[in-house]
Amino acid sequence: MTGLERRYRRLLLAYPADYRRDRGDEIVGTYLDLAGPERRWPTLADAADLVRGGLRQRLRAAGATDLVPGVRLAGLLALVTATFLAAFWAFVEQQPPPAEWGVPRFGPFVSTGVIAWFAWLVPAILTLVAPGRPTRAAVAVAMLATVAVPVVSLAGGVPRPPLYVLVPQFTLGVLALAVSSRLPLPARVLPIAAAVAGAGTAAYLVGHGSYWGWYGWTTEQLLPAVGGVLLAIALLLAMGLAVRRDGRGGWALAALLTPVGLLNVHKLAGAVEGLHRAPNPTFPTLVATALMVGLLGPAVLPVAVALRRRRGAEPTGPAGPAEP
Amino acid sequence: MDTPLREPTFLILTALAREPMHGYAIIGEVAALSDGRLSLRPGTLYGALDRLTDAGLVELDREETVDGRLRRYYRLSPTGDATLAAESERLRRNVEAATARLRARRVRALAPRTAGGLA
Repeated sequence: MTGLERRYRRLLLAYPADYRRDRGDEIVGTYLDLAGPERRWPTLADAADLVRGGLRQRLRAAGATDLVPGVRLAGLLALVTATFLAAFWAFVEQQPPPAEWGVPRFGPFVSTGVIAWFAWLVPAILTLVAPGRPTRAAVAVAMLATVAVPVVSLAGGVPRPPLYVLVPQFTLGVLALAVSSRLPLPARVLPIAAAVAGAGTAAYLVGHGSYWGWYGWTTEQLLPAVGGVLLAIALLLAMGLAVRRDGRGGWALAALLTPVGLLNVHKLAGAVEGLHRAPNPTFPTLVATALMVGLLGPAVLPVAVALRRRRGAEPTGPAGPAEP
Repeated sequence: MDTPLREPTFLILTALAREPMHGYAIIGEVAALSDGRLSLRPGTLYGALDRLTDAGLVELDREETVDGRLRRYYRLSPTGDATLAAESERLRRNVEAATARLRARRVRALAPRTAGGLA
């Protein structure tokens, strides 16, 4: 056995053992047929292909082939939510306190958050005109911009939005990276519609004097409300699709639990300390709760897959596009 | 199997329409059919073949060992034949409709204007 074959076989560990026994020789043989004589290591693309293939095979073996379409559905809902929030904050960022108050600000804006919020509006436009790779690239850029917000703030000594605003936004971005390349037109319009709704909501609040010029009070009202709406929509989708024996909604709901939890981190942390403290928990409790949500939330999907496998359940409903 | 078929699936079935093939040959044939645009990787190809087999569009034809490497040959099933034929017909109608519209548009563009314009 050559070194290259041994390395391909190591990558085959991504597949279930029984599948490796049945198809391993065939898959590795094809890779070796394709490899030039000078090749010593699998390419990165080969490794990604095998890991992706192994993951899909494991889901298939667990009867969870509808997981990937479900996560893609969650990706769209996450993108819509992220766009709504970004448009809301992009509007209120343009309402800084008067200069004579002497409150620190970021140029004509409230804080460095404006860097991220405008970056988040790009994938909303691209979803309509260029869904797929361009949209996902724009989401990745918006996530980087979100990470850059506290860095710029620290470097420039200027205000930034609270981390409990930025962390859920980043988490929504992680899910939004899974948004499908093949979306019907009504779905492609959703992120832009959400942006209009977000900016409209902000304009209404500012116009009625409900906005106080800083993230604190507004955030404590807005984030749990958005998280609640997202949870309600995901629940309704899961129930509606389940009626048609379509499991995608259930997986979407499971995938969205982490961002929903982070959007409600104030309430959850308050509940940890005792309901009388909500929504003003201490900072350590807030951080600990966010960490718990960040660790437990993503664990829901693999646990659900394991349960599905244990039950030996048949895949429910359409298994998504059966295409490579 | 969802229809319309995506291009890689359509080309895998098209490759197998000629004769039974093993994975390496299918990858080469799909690349040739798409003028090099589509380059399937084995992990993707075998996942697709599993799903096509589950859907009854592709069947295992035979197994061989060449130079110590296992090769399984796959063939188009009768259901796969019918699905590919239906999809080809759908695409043919679309192409005909688009071609007719484009031809008419060019004729209109070339025709001299016999009415309207400045007096």
